[in-house]
Amino acid sequence: MSVYILPVLFIGLFIYGFAKKINTYDTFVKGAKGAIKLVVDIFPFIACIMVAVALLRVSGITEFLAKCLAPVFNFLGIPSELCELILLRPFTGSGSYALLDDVFTTYGADSYIGRCASVILGCSETIFYVATVYLSQTKVKKLGYAIPCALVASIVGAIVACLLCRVM
Amino acid sequence: MMLASFLVLLFVDPGATLSTMIDASTDALTLCIELCAVYAVWLGLLEIVDASGLGKKLAKLLRPLIKKLFRVDNEEIEKMIALNMSANILGLGNAATPMGIKAMQAMDDKSGKATFSMMMLVVVNATSIQLLPSTVIGLRANAGSANPSDIILPTILATIVTTSIGIMLVILCDKIKNRFARKKK
Repeated sequence: MSVYILPVLFIGLFIYGFAKKINTYDTFVKGAKGAIKLVVDIFPFIACIMVAVALLRVSGITEFLAKCLAPVFNFLGIPSELCELILLRPFTGSGSYALLDDVFTTYGADSYIGRCASVILGCSETIFYVATVYLSQTKVKKLGYAIPCALVASIVGAIVACLLCRVM
Repeated sequence: MMLASFLVLLFVDPGATLSTMIDASTDALTLCIELCAVYAVWLGLLEIVDASGLGKKLAKLLRPLIKKLFRVDNEEIEKMIALNMSANILGLGNAATPMGIKAMQAMDDKSGKATFSMMMLVVVNATSIQLLPSTVIGLRANAGSANPSDIILPTILATIVTTSIGIMLVILCDKIKNRFARKKK
């Protein structure tokens, strides 16, 4: 079903464009041109955050933190096997998907842990990445309470995710 | 954060430091090239949405919600936020990014501090309102799951929880901040 959503939306968009007498080709090209500049603008921010995350992982700091936090997560009802996944999720999208794959191979995709991991990844986002990239083109230096709010919401989400996996 | 990693690596594996950084930077470049392709497609389509007046219509439809939630009153910003949220809901995080960046730029008051609207947009995007966790489902199918999509319902429920908690926390923090500001006066 869901594979049809996008193509149908696109067809609708182009038909609507024709109806409104727009030169779809020129308009598309004009918009697409902006992509290169945008990527050049955000590349340094993405590079910095990815280098930092890679260093944290290679140095073993995340593993150490995950071990320290395991009892806390257990207390909250989150399987301690998922500590590292939850710690890295706010920083890296590709990294956390790689970890999810590890979880699947170690515990199986249909195991309780595998399902928890799936739901946790599905309901959370790369908070620091989003904040960095979204604000990279503005003058904002102080983010106020946005990051803590998002982090708390994600942790609660992870707890809820594990609960839901138990009953559903 | 980086400093701590450097210090630990000095004792654990000093030779790996530079190669790790360069590998990560290469990954970032690969990601950016992929993103460039994705953005080109989406920005192209977005331009059509915009030029055909469809963006305005969508913004009008979502306007009451956006106005209340983000406290903005500007047609251009409303339009960008409407498109950003629609893309998020469809699970197209990468398509949402360029619209989000544009909305942020328009909301920037150049004071160096994030405004309420900007923080709300960060939190809404950082708690992911998506209906279809397609990447996760794909990975599950690859890993030989018997029913890769049985996590959709719990994911949607959990997403609603995270996003609404995020929104409530932002409003709460804003109220607390305002109260403090008034007390100081």
